[in-house]
Parts: sequence; structure tokens; C-alpha cells
Amino acid sequence: MTLSELRQAQGWRGCAGDDLYYRCGPFIVQLRSRLADTLDLLEQFYGPCWASRSPAVAHFQVEVNSAPGLRRWWRSQTVFALDGLHPFEPFPRAQAFALLEWGLNWSIATRAHQYLMLHAGALERKGQALLLPAMPGAGKSTLSAALAYRGWRLLGDEFGLIRPADGAIVPLPRAIPLKNRSIPVIREFLPDAFLGPVFPKTRKGDVAHLRPPLPSLERQTEPAHPRWITFPRFVPGLRRPQLKRLEKSLGFTRLAQNAFNYRLLGEDGFTTLVRLVRECACFSLDYGDLDTAIARIAEITADAPR
Amino acid sequence: MHPAKLHPLLRSARDPLAVVHFSADDWNRCLRTARTERVLARLGYRIADADALDRCPAAARDQLIAARAYPGFLQGRIAHEVSQVRRALPAADGDLILLKGAAYHCAGLPLTRGRQLRDLDILVPRARIGACERDLLAGGWESQPLNDYDQRYYRDWMHEIPPLRHRHRDVEVDLHHRLLPLTSRLRPDPDLLWESSLPVAGMPGVRVLSPADMLLHTATHLFHDGAIRGGLNDLWDIDELVRHFGGRPEFWGKLPGRAARLDLGRPLYYGLLFSHALLGTPIPAAVLTDVGRRFAPARPVKALMHTLVTRALPPQEGWSAFAGLANWLLYVRSHWLRMPPHLLLPHLIRKSLRRLDSLDQHSGRLRG
Repeated sequence: MTLSELRQAQGWRGCAGDDLYYRCGPFIVQLRSRLADTLDLLEQFYGPCWASRSPAVAHFQVEVNSAPGLRRWWRSQTVFALDGLHPFEPFPRAQAFALLEWGLNWSIATRAHQYLMLHAGALERKGQALLLPAMPGAGKSTLSAALAYRGWRLLGDEFGLIRPADGAIVPLPRAIPLKNRSIPVIREFLPDAFLGPVFPKTRKGDVAHLRPPLPSLERQTEPAHPRWITFPRFVPGLRRPQLKRLEKSLGFTRLAQNAFNYRLLGEDGFTTLVRLVRECACFSLDYGDLDTAIARIAEITADAPR
Repeated sequence: MHPAKLHPLLRSARDPLAVVHFSADDWNRCLRTARTERVLARLGYRIADADALDRCPAAARDQLIAARAYPGFLQGRIAHEVSQVRRALPAADGDLILLKGAAYHCAGLPLTRGRQLRDLDILVPRARIGACERDLLAGGWESQPLNDYDQRYYRDWMHEIPPLRHRHRDVEVDLHHRLLPLTSRLRPDPDLLWESSLPVAGMPGVRVLSPADMLLHTATHLFHDGAIRGGLNDLWDIDELVRHFGGRPEFWGKLPGRAARLDLGRPLYYGLLFSHALLGTPIPAAVLTDVGRRFAPARPVKALMHTLVTRALPPQEGWSAFAGLANWLLYVRSHWLRMPPHLLLPHLIRKSLRRLDSLDQHSGRLRG
């Protein structure tokens, strides 16, 4: 059953507070929440994903609910819990969905060490994948979002999960959090795509989530093989994108610094990263506008077979 | 306790093949608790050793495997710290004995697998601890500034000096000169530990306790030097030490006598009793009887400890008044064992005053 079907069949209200299990890329999430508005948003973003009310073995046991006590009525707040522990300060109640998404990212980054986790956007075409590793603020989410609506399947905008056993990229398509200036840029670039409510003045400024194209969610259990690594950097006002081929050794060093858990994985991290860089062509891309950046990426990735 | 009523984490530790029949609920309780008790990776190795990893659901297998990364990383860090400490101390400072996790790791014992190792515990003779401290301070290790009371607390009463930390690294080094505080009721003689300690292959000047002493120290640490609650990881150590060394015929023969010599009979009794009861540790029945006869407390104390420990040590889910009371009583007991009453009472009063003081400062900051 999908999340949309589950909602249609049962609604939320009858089972408020019960656990909801849903699939998020390779992960099963157990979510306990009484917040109907947050569950509604969850369904709008992840409708095609598998979901269930009966127990499944979960990778993450999370909770998003109203803060207890007086805070329920006065300047109400929301708290996130992982395994019953609260790793963050409460958020304003209105930002519960953003907190859930952020909390889940944090949970993944601190735990999913069965993968080498790159801080990267990832997209696939004809079974071959493009990685866009970058630090926050480099425009990785915006560029991933744009490519996802221009012929690429979104594998993820935040995590490039590399499976050590075979070097494949495991998809983790999530709602794409757009920040501040990216929101109007994407509204203009993708006028038909579904954008959730704007959460003003969060820790990262204004945030609005973009829903990934539905096929990305429907195919979220299909891995892809990495072929290109491009380090993007948004440079305001840059007319023509600057694309440079990178030495693999440099690509390796930059990825080792970019990964969430490279040091933690020790030798496994090293061998996985060496293999990744060997199998990919590495580039850096400075861009000032989405259309020309997408065209440049199309050129370097045109040699895909079939 | 009937095995079917045990928490799924204990069931899986006792019999790793039991996980094959786990429901999704069993798994979720087991994984969540194993993580909070810091034994998830250890459980994963136990299941893998029983060839049952492939029969676990994918979501469980993912977590059991992912959990191995962090302990592996911590162990590498501790091994590096050991070599740095050894290099910083001139040979004249004498040998070091590694204690607990660092010892298991450097001695290559299988129980190191998946074990989270945060601090480096080292034993040196009391006569040389001052020289060792000076040499480490000269080598870049630093000590937190402490007030006079805390300095005196460590220097006059404790079994260790204030923790040291190298300015470029995030590992706490605890230098001990004995296993229990100077004020403690039990008084194991450190000289006996040194006599039977063993060299670590490939690490000159570094030693570990003998197998029997290792087990006695772990049991002492859990039952006579802390609040017991949250000690499942330590109980797991006892279990794995017994599984590893228990196959040697001479091990069981010498253990009770050694415990008596070191004045650690009572902790041995509790360690064997509760690891057997909760984790199903294989211990010869004759040993259990003998240790019970020699070292068990009077019957009412025995009954009370059994009630308290079997509430406090298994994973606690949710809130229960009884478990809360058990935890509190064991906390009081742990202090009682550490200090005689004429020292304990002023110490606890000082501690609680200081807690009030820091609460006050904290709320002041919030208001400001």
C-alpha cells in the first residue's frame, strides 16, 4: 500500500498517535505523530511511497509531536525524538514538517554507516548517475531540483549513498528543501512543480520544500551506477558556466573532505572512494544560471551508452 | 525468569538464533534498546558468529552492520593514544597496565569487537603516578582546572588522578593506582595485580591483567564502583570474558581463590550470578555453588540485591516507579560502598549544594 492509498483508506484521525511505517529510499521509518497537518504534508510529498500501519522492522524510530505542558497552548512548539531521545531544541509548532525532514536527515547522517555518505545531489539517466557534491550554500539542491525536472531521475539532493559492496548509488529521493533566494528561482524555473508551504525564519532562513517528480519516488529502490562527479558552485551573475575537468586525485581529496563518514569507515571508506573516483569522470562547474548549467551538464554526460 | 518473558535484547544475546523468529515489534524493541545500551554492534557480531545474519530482515541487518563503524573508529583512536602515552613516558616510569576496553583491544581478545571505547584507563604503581602525571603534562596532556575540594577528592580518596586529555586529541586518559577508591570498603591489593599481569605482544612496557583479574576487575567495576543501572555493556564484558577464558581448565579452579585473595569475592559472586541469570553465561554449576557458598551476602541482602539488580540491569523501557526506586537504592548503595559514612555525608551534601548552585547559574543565564 502507498502512503496516499493508506490515507484514503484510513485517514489520520482514527489512528492518531499510532505508528506509521513508510519507506524512504532504502530506509523504513517508524513515525509516531499526532500532528494531522504534518501527516498531510508527508502524504503530499511522499504519496507514492510504500506505507503501512502494521509493524515493520524500522531503521529509524522517530516522533514528531507537540511539546508537552504549557507549550501546547502558548506559543506552541514541536519536538523531534529519535529512539525516544530529543537531540534538538524544540521548533515552533508551525515548522513541524521541516523539523521532521531535518531530523530524519540528521538521523541518517549519524547512523547509516552501511553506506559511504557523500554530501551530494545525485541524479540518474539510462542507469548512469551524476553526483553533485558540495557544501551547503553551493546551490546543490537547486541544481539537483532543476535537473530532476529536465530528464534526470532524482536519486537525492542531500545524500549520495554509496554501497561499499558494489559501488552503486542507492537512491534517497526526499522533499528538496529550498532556501531563501532559491525559492523564487525554482518557482519561476518550474512553475508547475509542487512546492509546499514556506516556513519563514527557520534556522536556515526561509525554507520551502519541492516535491521530487513522482517517478523518482516510484523507482526509489532502483540503484544506479556512478559515472560523473561534478562539484557545482553557484556564482551570482556568472553569464557562461565554467566547466573544468579535474584530476582524479583532486576529486578524491575533495570527496574525502565532503563525505559525512569517510574517516569513520576507515579502510572501507577508502576503498569505496577509490573505486568511485576510478569509475567516474570528475569536473568542477561554476554557474550563474540554471539553463546554461543544465546544457553544459548535458554535453559532458552525452556519452552515455544506448 | 522465563526466557520468553525476557526483553528481546536479552533473548537475542542469550541465543542469537532466537532472532530468526523475531516479530517486527521484537526487532524494533531489540534494536532500539541495544543502541541505547551501546551493544548494537556487539549483538551484530554475536548474530554473525551464529551464522544468523543472513536470516535477519534487511532493515535489521543494515543496522547491525552499520553499528560496527563507530566502535572500530574509537578503537583505532585508543590504540593510537596508547602508543602516544607509552612514547611520552620514559622507561624509568616503569610498565603500564591497560585496563578494561583498551586491554581487551590491545590483547586482541575477541570481546573487543563492536565495543565502544571512549576513555583510556591505565594502572601505574602509586609510587610512580606523580612522575607519570608530570611526564604526560610535559608531553602535551592537560588536566581540567579543579577547585581545592575536587583536587583533594581525587588525591586523597580516589583510585585515580583527575582525567588528562591531550590538547590535540579527544581521548580521556585516566591514570589509576588501584582498582577501587582508597576509601572503598573492598581493598584489593594492587601489588598482587602487578605480580600476575601479562606483557602485551608487540608493545614493550605495556601489560594487561591476568584473565582471572580481568574478570574480577570488570565485575568490581560494575557491582562495586557504579550505579549498576545502564551497565548491560559491562555485564556483556563479563559474559564474553567467561565465554573466552572459561574453556581453559585451570581458569575455574583458580578463580574463587584469587577472588578471596584480592578481597573481591562479593563482586565475583554478583558478576557470575547476574550474567548467568540475564545473559545465560555458561558457568559450571559447581562453580556457581562454590562461589555462592563462599561469597554470597546474608539471605535478606541477597534477596534484595536480586530484586533490585534484575530490575535495574535489564533494559528499561518507559517509566515505572519500581524501577525508579531500584535505581535510586542502587545509587545510594554505590556511594555507601565507595566511602565510609563520615566522609560520604559531607561529600553528598557538597555535591547537591553544587548542583543547586549550577542550576541557579543556568536559570540565571536563561533569564539573562
